Amino acid sequence: MLQLLIEKELKAILQSPKFVATFGVCSILIMLSIFIGVREYRASLAQYEIATSLVDQKVAEATSFRNMQTKVYREPDPMQIFMSGVNYDVGRLSQIQSKQDVKLEQSAYSEDPLFAVFRYIDFAFIVQVVLSLFAIVFTYDAINGERESGTLKLVLSNAVPRAKYLIAKMTGAWLGLTIPLLIPILLGLLLLFLFKVPMTGSDWLKLTTLIGVSILYFTFFIALGLLVSSLTRTSSVSFLLLLVAWITLVLIVPRGATMAAGQLVNVPTVAEIESQKDRYRTDMQQDTDEQRHNLWEQVMAPAEGLPREERRAFYQANRSAFRELAEDLQTAMEEEIAEHNRQVNEGLRNAKSEQERLAFLLSRFSPASAYKLTAMNLGGTNTSIKKRYEDQMFAYRETYNSYVAKKSQQEKKARQEAAQKSGNSRMFRMTGSGNEAVDANDMPKFIASREPVGTAIKASILDFGLLSVFTVLAFAGAFLAFVRYDVR
Amino acid sequence: MFNIILDKELREIIGTTKFAVTFGVCAVLILLAFYVGARNYQVSRQEYGAAVAENIQQMEGLTDWGSIDHRIFLPPQPLATLVSGVSNDIGRTVNMQSRGELRTEGSRFNEDPLFAVFRYLDLEFIFAIILSLFAILFGYDAVNGEKERGTLGLTFANPVPRDQYILGKIVGSFVALIVPLMIPILIGCLMLPVLGVPMDMDSWLRLAMVILAGILYFGVFLTLSVFMSTLLQSSSASLMALLVVWIFAVLIIPRTSVLVAGRSVDVPSVDQIDYEKSRFAAQLWNERMTAMQKWMKANYNDDHRQMRDGMRTFSTEQQALQDEKMNTFVEQLNEQRANKSDLRTGVALSLARISPTASFSLAASDLAYTSMELRSSYVESANAYQQEYSAFMQSKNVDYWGRYRRHGGNDDVEEPDPIDTRELPVFSYQQPPISEAIKASLPDLGLLFMFNAIFFSGAFVRFLRYDLR
Repeated sequence: MLQLLIEKELKAILQSPKFVATFGVCSILIMLSIFIGVREYRASLAQYEIATSLVDQKVAEATSFRNMQTKVYREPDPMQIFMSGVNYDVGRLSQIQSKQDVKLEQSAYSEDPLFAVFRYIDFAFIVQVVLSLFAIVFTYDAINGERESGTLKLVLSNAVPRAKYLIAKMTGAWLGLTIPLLIPILLGLLLLFLFKVPMTGSDWLKLTTLIGVSILYFTFFIALGLLVSSLTRTSSVSFLLLLVAWITLVLIVPRGATMAAGQLVNVPTVAEIESQKDRYRTDMQQDTDEQRHNLWEQVMAPAEGLPREERRAFYQANRSAFRELAEDLQTAMEEEIAEHNRQVNEGLRNAKSEQERLAFLLSRFSPASAYKLTAMNLGGTNTSIKKRYEDQMFAYRETYNSYVAKKSQQEKKARQEAAQKSGNSRMFRMTGSGNEAVDANDMPKFIASREPVGTAIKASILDFGLLSVFTVLAFAGAFLAFVRYDVR
Repeated sequence: MFNIILDKELREIIGTTKFAVTFGVCAVLILLAFYVGARNYQVSRQEYGAAVAENIQQMEGLTDWGSIDHRIFLPPQPLATLVSGVSNDIGRTVNMQSRGELRTEGSRFNEDPLFAVFRYLDLEFIFAIILSLFAILFGYDAVNGEKERGTLGLTFANPVPRDQYILGKIVGSFVALIVPLMIPILIGCLMLPVLGVPMDMDSWLRLAMVILAGILYFGVFLTLSVFMSTLLQSSSASLMALLVVWIFAVLIIPRTSVLVAGRSVDVPSVDQIDYEKSRFAAQLWNERMTAMQKWMKANYNDDHRQMRDGMRTFSTEQQALQDEKMNTFVEQLNEQRANKSDLRTGVALSLARISPTASFSLAASDLAYTSMELRSSYVESANAYQQEYSAFMQSKNVDYWGRYRRHGGNDDVEEPDPIDTRELPVFSYQQPPISEAIKASLPDLGLLFMFNAIFFSGAFVRFLRYDLR
């Protein structure tokens, strides 16, 4: 019986002109989105490679380790093909130097606002917006349409249990829509091989999960269509209601929720943070200057009251000792500032993550945002991308700084020796160095570790569960409504 | 006769539950957009004020102008909260230096990626996506729905001219939908000054034009729907076709055309440009060092002070010369990139304008000063300010390297007085004149008008020979 009903439903769907239109549109869009994603990925990979090689070249051309600074870039991730998330909104690179904080800057959108005008199109966008709309188009008249055409009465006048009828409706619609969609998805995946996208094993695992979540999300809208269709008498009403529900769930709730959270949780602005840091640095510098002054007086105390010439001689004798002490003071200060800045940043991050938690909590009332958030987790393009990279870049900065400090010490020593040999120390100091390039082959490289697949999948379990709950609820509601449906 | 048809159409639309539901939803959304927009404006205004104040505050107590760390900020635009455009994507902060190239940094979405996840709910979004969908919902069965119900045949059993009938249909549904929508929009507009958004004459005019563009855009989808309903026999088929057209026009074409056309024109990346600049700078530095070495060998003098002064003059001259060279070089590079980037923008946006949604968005953001022009006009303002700032710094005896030139030797300097931050020239962002914004939006408004005309005449001509059976 069930099989017969499913078969009927499948045939009805596959033969409708509606199906041809939507299937065609979805196939084109899915493949187009993957194609665009691959192209964009390759373009950003090329940009990344050029950028890093330019940095290497710049290092190779450097003539001194003093004040050396570098930049590190975010490497494009193949998973961004399917879900671009905030990838183009977050800065691509960070300066690495001793006195400046690590901070991602120069987002792709701020450099080329052209691409920000209409935003991005990717696989997850097509699923989130277009496929959900089509799911509604297919199921809005599943029950009340049959009533209107009079077939519902006929079917149920046979010995057909209502439960079985509804399950068959759901299964038929699901099979008739999901299976055909797998074809363009698989064709799209072929593009990955065609363009030789370097997908690792864990990428494939993430991608499979993403496709699974997409199907689950799609299923929710099929169930929602059934629910509304069995709650209403006419198909035109159910279509209108579903359209309003779709607009609310897909377009309004996610945006509204983040904006509400933005108003509810107060986060200090960047300007406040920056000036807090600046103020601290100024204060510390003043302190240190004072200490240095005291130190100077201490060191020079024995020479107090001596004639000018002798004072100068005393100064010459003690200069290096004084300088070392002063440098120690400066280093201690820099360390304290770095510690303070870290604390300030930590506080900012906490406030931000509080805001984010609230925003995502509110927005998850809509399955569309649950889906999008999961997709971003899987695509490695969620909002934590910033923290993840900045942490790693911070760690890199430490190794980089100690390397450069060590090297510049060596360099300084070598120069002093050379200067003594040539006997023209003053000129040597004033003009810096010779123009020969330094040897920086052993400079540590920045290699960002990607988020392990386990974390990404674990982060999406919540949304997976939520989507399942939404789907089950919608189907259960449809079931309850249909059991008491007036078939006349 | 026309009046009767118009009257009938008005009653038919306004009396339905469909109208009540959609009007309710739109009214709530429009009011929400205005309210949230005004609130956001206040928040960003406060943030901006705080940033400016703290920028000054962190200078207090410093004793020399050479060590200040001066930043300027892009003030929030009153209309940006209704049409956000790219205002959240471009950098808002500029680190001011008296020489060298300025760079904008710290875009809103980079600082708070949270808001980039789902973007904002603004008036432009509501017009572009939701109102267009509702236009379809009311127009898809305008003609074939009447035929399906059998009322079309009845109507034309009377002496009703077809041209007046179709005209009445289109005008009637347009009036029935637009006039009610104007109510929440007008209430929203009135909310703006109440909620503390400073609206001057210019802003009102621009807002009125944004709304006009929205109405034209709404008209495009309405006439398209009526046209489609005269083309196709059944109302379900025309709804399906219109949904597909809507998806493509609103969601697919603008995004895809920018991505596809944008990548087909090769523009050197900022990294490459930066690299070339820094390379050239390094080359200049080496040249200068060589020149200095030569100078020192030639002018070696036992009187250190005299030699130092001589060297200072020499190196300042050198620096000025090299600055000139560097500036020309940078300008050249930037111009090359700007030219290519303009070409790319032109190609991408003209392709996108196949879709009326793209035209509407572009026109709205041009009028709200949140188009891509915003960045260039901000940078222009910042550059003009840099001149002023540089002159000011020179008047304060800060030399080329940003170092404060103390008078006299190093010994026995009296404790200098703290600087007076009020002397610092104030940056004000110069908005482009309104005529420019209007001029920029005219082609798009023209396009929207043209779409209206095409679909309207399509529906008209098609209906004149429509098979009523």
